[in-house]
Amino acid sequence: MRLLRRLIAVVLATSLISAAVGSSSSAVGSSSSSAVVDDDDHYEYDENLLLKTLPGNSVLASFRFVMNGTFNNHHSVFPRSLAQILSQSHARELHLKFSLGRWDAERWGTPIGKAGGTGVELWAWVEADDDAGADKRWTTLTNALSGLFCASLNFIDGTRTIRPVMSFQPEGHHSEREMERLHLLHGSLPREPVCTENLTPFLKLLPCKGRAGISSLLDGHKLFDAQWQSMSVVIKPVCDGDRCRLQVEQTVDMVLDVERSLQRRDSPVPKPRSIEQLNCDATKFYGVGDACFPQADLADLPWSLAEIFGRPIRGVCPLARSGSEEPAAHVCAVVPAGRPIFVSQDSYEVKRQDGTRCFVLPNGKDFDIILPLQSPPLPQDISPPPLYASRSFTGHGQERGGVQAVLRNPSPTDSVEFIYLESLPWFMKPYLHTLRTTLSPPSPLDPLRSLFYRPVLDRARGAHLEAALTLPPNSTLTLSYDFDKSVLRYTEYPPDANRGFDVAAAVITIPRTGFAIRTTSLLLSLPTPDFSMPYNVIILSSTVIALAFGSIFNLLVRRFVAADAMPRRGARLMTVRGKILAVVKRLKERGAKRKTE
Amino acid sequence: MSEPKPKAPDSPPPDSPPPDSPPPDTPENERTRALVVLSFWTVVLLLGLPLWWFTTSIYRAPLPLEEMQSWANGRACRAEFPLLVDVEAPTLPDPENLLKTVQHALDDANDFSAHHLRLRLAYGKDDERISTTIQSDLQPERKGETGGPEDEEESVAAILRLAPGTSGSTHSYQLHNSSRVIDLYYSPSYNPSSSASSTSLALFISNTLQEIFREEQQMISHLLSSAAAPSPSPPPASSGSNNSSNGSNKINKAEIQRKMSRIMRYSPTYHLTFSMFTASGSPTSWEVEQSIEDYLQPLLDALSGISNFTVDSQIQFYASLSPNVVPVWVPTNPEVVVPEDQQQQPQPGKWVLKKEDLSSFINSAEWPLVSITSYPTINFIVYIPSKEQTPLAIPESATNAFLLPQWGGVMVLNPTEESHTGHISKKDLKPAMDIFAAQLLSLLGAPSRPLSLPIRIDSLTRQRSAELLTSASSSLGSLYSLTKALPSISIPTSVLTSVGSTLSSLTNACRELKKGRFGGPGGALEEGRNAAYQAEKAFFEKSMVGQVYFPEEHKVAVYLPLLGPVGVPLIMNALKWIFGMVKEWKANRRGAAV
Repeated sequence: MRLLRRLIAVVLATSLISAAVGSSSSAVGSSSSSAVVDDDDHYEYDENLLLKTLPGNSVLASFRFVMNGTFNNHHSVFPRSLAQILSQSHARELHLKFSLGRWDAERWGTPIGKAGGTGVELWAWVEADDDAGADKRWTTLTNALSGLFCASLNFIDGTRTIRPVMSFQPEGHHSEREMERLHLLHGSLPREPVCTENLTPFLKLLPCKGRAGISSLLDGHKLFDAQWQSMSVVIKPVCDGDRCRLQVEQTVDMVLDVERSLQRRDSPVPKPRSIEQLNCDATKFYGVGDACFPQADLADLPWSLAEIFGRPIRGVCPLARSGSEEPAAHVCAVVPAGRPIFVSQDSYEVKRQDGTRCFVLPNGKDFDIILPLQSPPLPQDISPPPLYASRSFTGHGQERGGVQAVLRNPSPTDSVEFIYLESLPWFMKPYLHTLRTTLSPPSPLDPLRSLFYRPVLDRARGAHLEAALTLPPNSTLTLSYDFDKSVLRYTEYPPDANRGFDVAAAVITIPRTGFAIRTTSLLLSLPTPDFSMPYNVIILSSTVIALAFGSIFNLLVRRFVAADAMPRRGARLMTVRGKILAVVKRLKERGAKRKTE
Repeated sequence: MSEPKPKAPDSPPPDSPPPDSPPPDTPENERTRALVVLSFWTVVLLLGLPLWWFTTSIYRAPLPLEEMQSWANGRACRAEFPLLVDVEAPTLPDPENLLKTVQHALDDANDFSAHHLRLRLAYGKDDERISTTIQSDLQPERKGETGGPEDEEESVAAILRLAPGTSGSTHSYQLHNSSRVIDLYYSPSYNPSSSASSTSLALFISNTLQEIFREEQQMISHLLSSAAAPSPSPPPASSGSNNSSNGSNKINKAEIQRKMSRIMRYSPTYHLTFSMFTASGSPTSWEVEQSIEDYLQPLLDALSGISNFTVDSQIQFYASLSPNVVPVWVPTNPEVVVPEDQQQQPQPGKWVLKKEDLSSFINSAEWPLVSITSYPTINFIVYIPSKEQTPLAIPESATNAFLLPQWGGVMVLNPTEESHTGHISKKDLKPAMDIFAAQLLSLLGAPSRPLSLPIRIDSLTRQRSAELLTSASSSLGSLYSLTKALPSISIPTSVLTSVGSTLSSLTNACRELKKGRFGGPGGALEEGRNAAYQAEKAFFEKSMVGQVYFPEEHKVAVYLPLLGPVGVPLIMNALKWIFGMVKEWKANRRGAAV
């Protein structure tokens, strides 16, 4: 808007001025002509896309963009806005994750990449002298990121911030001296709905801005239609010997349902299929006539990039240069060995040792990958994750409840040492003495190695629980504890209080391998008042006070007179009654006389 | 309960027929009842209402309203800008006399009394002084230390050096780019004893000085007059300029107005962002860091007495213009008929942007130009068109650049063949940096003339002082009218302290201006900066704004269930008592009359 109001004036810069500036500068400028070391890997930018077929006609698409920058104020591919935020907030390393949906580890195996919990998760190492200073800079950081990514990150306040002690280790290179001054802060917003408004600023940070290269596939409509998706921004210093540079790694991972994507392409409005188009299992005796027993995994459906993303890749991003040792492969596909892949012309294939098929994008031409129909489906090799985790609420009622996390080690041989981190909102007050760990099958070993716990302070900070646990091979650990639910103040309830309150995902990290998974977030229902209550209270108490006042006042001020001192109201009525009574009396008397006679 | 049941002695016997009205009360009972009502009312009036008033009223600190208003009207301070010009005339006989004549001429010609030139003859140690002066020219705040004891009070605006010119020449003068010295060569035929010759030289000197400082004078006069315009009593400055309003002056006014509209609001720090927007994926690098260091940093250092600058730069690829900005292809030589067989050959010509498109040239929806700094950002953009749209030209601009008022500058850099390879060298950037330097000065409000940079920067200091003074005063005026217009907003004590600090800074600034100390620590600029900062702080106090939106109806709605049932019996009883008193009084009077 401000732009529109701006007046325009064309400056015909006079030679006088430039001469004035030029001469004054030349006196100083001549001495400082030391050339800045300008080597190529300072300005390197790398992007690649990994496509992987998953069981159940799903495709994992994992986009990765790496930009390197310098620590000074002059930026090339490194986004200036991020650099400015880092320098303003003194953050040395930053991890920001947006996620939506749930990674189905049972079907899809080990999660790819390092996705955060549902909603938004942010952790950063902030340089500061003390905790108060770190908190101030953390607030600066969350506010700035909130503005940049159009997310409610500014709601990460003291009650949602914790300082993890065991779970997170910096990925970047920090010197010993620096590490002493770094404070790790972590916050999450499980309720944040991740959507297009977060993707748009995310894409703007990329040098090719979605116009060329693999980022041209990223479209909000497809991305947020996925079964699971995660966006992340990681900024860290990366050192190669003495030479350090600032690296930002942006990733977008998503699992697309091929069937759903194809259906969307054919009819944008979802409609039920006609009975002929359904895959019914005719071998079932009840699957005849109108009834249909659906038959899954009949075939690996055919798909192409243009079909599932709505458009092909628009040529190569000219800035994308990967390492010098091998030709840049921008798109890689991991498919079962027998499945053919067809690609557009003008691109060539780079074979990798591990069977991954990689392709170099053509310059200035569209690129597409086509996978034909495969029936019967080929088996996929899915590597199981080192740990399965799930978490749920137990108990009933609005006063107290319990949390139960079930962690399973699928490995038949190796035990897993991991750290379980839970960041609870302040209105959830756990009882640490109820913390139980149960192993099944039972084992004499105590799985709990060490425990860190920071209790709740009402309205100031939430509970922070970190437990280092050991899980023997092929067994299941159940971690449970009880908690109390607080009653919130009237104004602390969100507009849709009856929906419940989201509790952030628990973070499970395996320090040895750096592997991290998240459980799902939980929905906690708190005792919710009737929101017209305050007005009722005010009106009721006012009425009580007014009643008390009125009776006392009347007692003091009213004059009390004997009933017969006042004019009788309805005196005539009284006389009629009197007459009737007199008649009755007389009749009675007469009756009595007769009796006596 | 405490009230004894009235057993009136004259109550009718039970057997008699009941009367039409209750029997009259005893006088003691009447009095007790009146006392009860009165005590209730006393508690309500003395305790209840004050308590209610104090707990629900809004705190308003007592602001020095009159003083604020007088600053806003421009009555509190008549800003003065005395400029001291040292005159060195080692070879001239009887310079005092000449100076007197020149001073007279200057005073006569000056129609804006707040801004006046004062000449002073520099004696002795001249050579030494000049040399130190020239060295320290780029740091105006150091001047006071190098000069004599008098200079500690007042900085020298310019040094006029009189020297005989070459034989046969007329009077002429010369300015230097990087010093305050004005070399004035008088005609060798000058004869101090001849009055005509002396007058002509005096006139020439006065005209020269006036010409040099004219633009600054106009700017300051414009600033002061526009600030005081809404006040009922315009200062004499504006009336003076009205007297001499002729054609050229009017044009000047429009010109000054245009210049003023470009200037960024004053801030102690500015952020400069240099961005290269390329329409395609190349070039991928530019030597901006060195270019800034070499071409721009000296200027920024020179300006550091007024504002500080932080600098960063970025490259943005695939930066498209807004969809409604479409350049037009204009062939260089439209008359030349291209032969049929050469139709395929590219015709020489250029792409030209429409003049009205320049306002929407910045694609603010797509281009990441926002900074998160708390101080204003000045943007300088180098736009590199795509190969298809090369060369791209801006109409009526020799430099292919334009300035966006109060925002920054844009230059379209058409890449040469070799720079399309992906690198823009320092040499390619030099014209852009020169233009940006000029644009920066004009955005900051430095006068476009004279040639000498130190004099222009001094002018800028004075101009910024005037601007800060007027802006702080007008903020005070706004705060004054705000507190008057909205009686329901609260005024916390922090506002009072800020206003106090503003007023003292304004007084200091005004005093420093009169003394002629503009820059440096404790100078008019610094005091003005503090005044403007504090005035803004007072005006934008958060807690003041919050109260404005608190609806009064809510308060009434909340108290109504209490006020209604309590108030009604109290009022009814009071009315009853008053009517009783009136009736009694009337009865008494009638009784007295009978």
